[in-house]
Amino acid sequence: MTGIKAHKDPKLAPPPDVAEGPEWEHTLALLDPHVAETLLSAARTLYPHDGLPERVYRRVILHFDRMAAHAPAAAQSFAEFVDRVDTAMPLPFRDLSESYRVSVLKGLEESAAFRLVQRSTVRFLYDDVEVWQAFGYEGASVHLGGYVARGFNDLDWLPDPPAGV
Amino acid sequence: MTHYEFDDAGVVVIIGSGAGGGTLAHELTRRGVEVVLLEAGKHLTSEDFVNDEWGGYEMLSWLDKRTASGDWRVGRDHPVTPSWSCQVVGGTTTHWSGCCYRLIEDEMRARSVYGDIPGASLIDWPIALAELAPYYDLAEARMGVTRTNGLPGLPANNNFKVMYAGATALGLNASTGRQAINSIPYDGRPATIQDGFTVTGDKVGSRWSTLNVEIPRALATGKLELRPQSRAVFIEHDAAGRACGVVYVDAAGTRQRQKARAVVLAGNCVESSRLLLHSASGMFPQGLANSHGNVGRYYLRHIIQTVWSVFDKPVNMHRGEIMTGMIDDFVRHDPARGFAGGYYVELNSMGLPTTAAFLDPGWWGRDFAGVIEQYAHMAGMLLSGEDMPQAGNRITLNDELDAFGVSVANIHYDEHPNDLKMRSHGYKTMSAIHQAAGAKRSVEAPAYPASHNLGSNRMSARAEDGVLDGHGRSHEVPNLFIADGSAFATGGACNPTLTIVALAIRQAEFMAGRMAAGDL
Repeated sequence: MTGIKAHKDPKLAPPPDVAEGPEWEHTLALLDPHVAETLLSAARTLYPHDGLPERVYRRVILHFDRMAAHAPAAAQSFAEFVDRVDTAMPLPFRDLSESYRVSVLKGLEESAAFRLVQRSTVRFLYDDVEVWQAFGYEGASVHLGGYVARGFNDLDWLPDPPAGV
Repeated sequence: MTHYEFDDAGVVVIIGSGAGGGTLAHELTRRGVEVVLLEAGKHLTSEDFVNDEWGGYEMLSWLDKRTASGDWRVGRDHPVTPSWSCQVVGGTTTHWSGCCYRLIEDEMRARSVYGDIPGASLIDWPIALAELAPYYDLAEARMGVTRTNGLPGLPANNNFKVMYAGATALGLNASTGRQAINSIPYDGRPATIQDGFTVTGDKVGSRWSTLNVEIPRALATGKLELRPQSRAVFIEHDAAGRACGVVYVDAAGTRQRQKARAVVLAGNCVESSRLLLHSASGMFPQGLANSHGNVGRYYLRHIIQTVWSVFDKPVNMHRGEIMTGMIDDFVRHDPARGFAGGYYVELNSMGLPTTAAFLDPGWWGRDFAGVIEQYAHMAGMLLSGEDMPQAGNRITLNDELDAFGVSVANIHYDEHPNDLKMRSHGYKTMSAIHQAAGAKRSVEAPAYPASHNLGSNRMSARAEDGVLDGHGRSHEVPNLFIADGSAFATGGACNPTLTIVALAIRQAEFMAGRMAAGDL
C-alpha cells in the first residue's frame, strides 16, 4: 500500500509460516480450533483492518497459543473469554455480525480476560512485519546504514527549516 | 579486571550502573578510589542489541512486578509496570534518547518562586544553580551534548519539519535542541546514522551512555570491579550506624556480602527507595536513613504525555533520531498560565508497535484502526513538565515478596490540580502546533509507564524535609549516598539525565575530598 519495504532485525526470527487453508489449526499446540477461531474473530473485531490478509490475524493467534502453552493462567483467561463471548448472545460469537460482535466485546471491556485479549492483540498484530509494510513502518535500519541516506529528512510538502535551527 | 575481596572494607560499593552510578564509578576511580559496581542486569554489547521495539524492551527492561494505587491513569493502564527503567550494565542510559537540558534557577527555588501551593510539599533545592553550573559544563563536555562545546546541532528530520512549521506559525521558538548524540564524530564515537533505535540499546554508539563511555574508562583505571548480574538485596550497617556492606545475590543465585567504606544507591528511584525501606534494623526500624519517614515520599514522574497527529501526506517519523526537537516557550514559571512550573515540548517518534500500544491503551474498534493505518502520515510530540511533590505520592512495600525475598514495591500517585492544569494546557499547545502544520486529526495520548522517576529520596536543607543533603549524602547515615533521580529536591521540567550526571560528578569530587581528608 505504501511502497516501502519493512525489515525485521536480522537477529530475530522471521514470522512463522501459516497455512492459507483450515489446516492452519493443526499447528496450534494448546488452543482447540473453536477457541482459536473465536479468538481470531475477536482480534479482527477489535482491530478491523479490511486490507490485511487473514494470515496476520492467524499469526496473532499462534502467539496466543504460545502464551497459553507457557502460562496456565493465560490459557484459563482465553477459555473464559471464549466462554463469555459465546454465551452473551443466542449465537456463537463467530457467527454474529460485526455490530453484535462489537456489542458483546463492549460488554466485557472491564474484565481481565478482555484486557488480556485486547492488549495481546495490539502487542502482536502491530509487531508483525507484514503489518509494518502495509502501514508504512520500515523497522530495523542499522543493518541498512540507518536512514541518514534513506529519507530521514525527505519530507517535501512543508518548507525546510532554516539551516542550524 | 581488578578483583576485590568480599571482606575488603576499603571499597566504595555502588549499586546500579546507569547515569548516576556509572558516572560516579568513573569519577571516583579516576581519582584512585577503589570501587565495586553492582549491577543487577547483564553486561551486553552493541552486538547483542536489536533494532526492534519489543525485542529491545524485553532485553533491557527491569521487569520486576510492581503494584500501583492512586488516581493516575498509568495505574489503570499499566497496573504491574507503572514505572519503567532498565536492568542492564549502563542502566537506563542504554535506552534514553539523549535530551540534555539544564534545570533553571526558578526550578531549583521552587518553593520560594511558586509559593505555598495547597496540597504540594515543595522545597527549594539545598544547592543553588550557580553551584551546579560548573558540573553541568563538565557533564555536557563528557557527554558530547550538541550545541555545547562547539558541537553542531542535530539536523532536522521529517517529524521536526512538521513541528517547526506549526511552532513557527504560532510564533513559538523551535529548534532541534540539545542531545548527547553525536552530530559529528566526537570522543571516539561516530556520528549518528539516523537509525531511530537509540531506545533499544543504540547499536551504533553515537549516543552517550555509561555502557559505552563511563564504565570502559572506569575499568581502564584498574580501580573498578564491575559485577554484573549482582542483585543487591540488603544494606548493612555497623553498631555506630554507618553503612558497612551490601548483601547481594550473584549470577549463580548465591548470596554474597561485600564490605564497604561507603555505599551509594543508584538503582533508579523505585529500587533505591525500596532497598532503603527493606533494609530495616533495630537501629533503623522504618528502614535505613528513614527516621523522618521521608524515604519513598514525594515521588515524582513528570507530566509526560504525547500528541500524535495524522496528516494528508507522509511524514515517516520513524526515520531518524527520535527526540531532536524542542520548544522552550513554556519552561519558565508564569503564574498567568494558571499553574506553577513549566514544561518542554519535545519531538517524539515511535515505531508502529509502540505507537499502537501507547496511543490510548484500551482503545479498539474501527476508529482506532482508521488512525493507526495512517501510521506513515503521523507526527508526534512529547511534553515533559514539572509535577508537584505530594507527601502521599510514595513508594511503599507490599507484604508480597519477590524471588529474592525483598518486598514488592507499591507506587501511589494522585494527580495534583496543578498537574491537571498543566496537562490540559500542554495538550492544547501540542495539538495547536500540529493543527497549524495542517493536521487533520490529533490524538491526546496519556502518559506511559513513568521513566522520569524522581524525588523519592530527596535532597533537603533540613533533615525533616527529605533524606539527603546537598551532596546526595544521607542526613543520618554519613557514608550512605544516592546518585540517581530519587535525590532531586523537585522535578523541574527537563529530562533528568544531564542533571543526574552533573550531580554525580559533583558528588564524586565531594566523596574523594572527604576520603582524602580522612573522614569518609
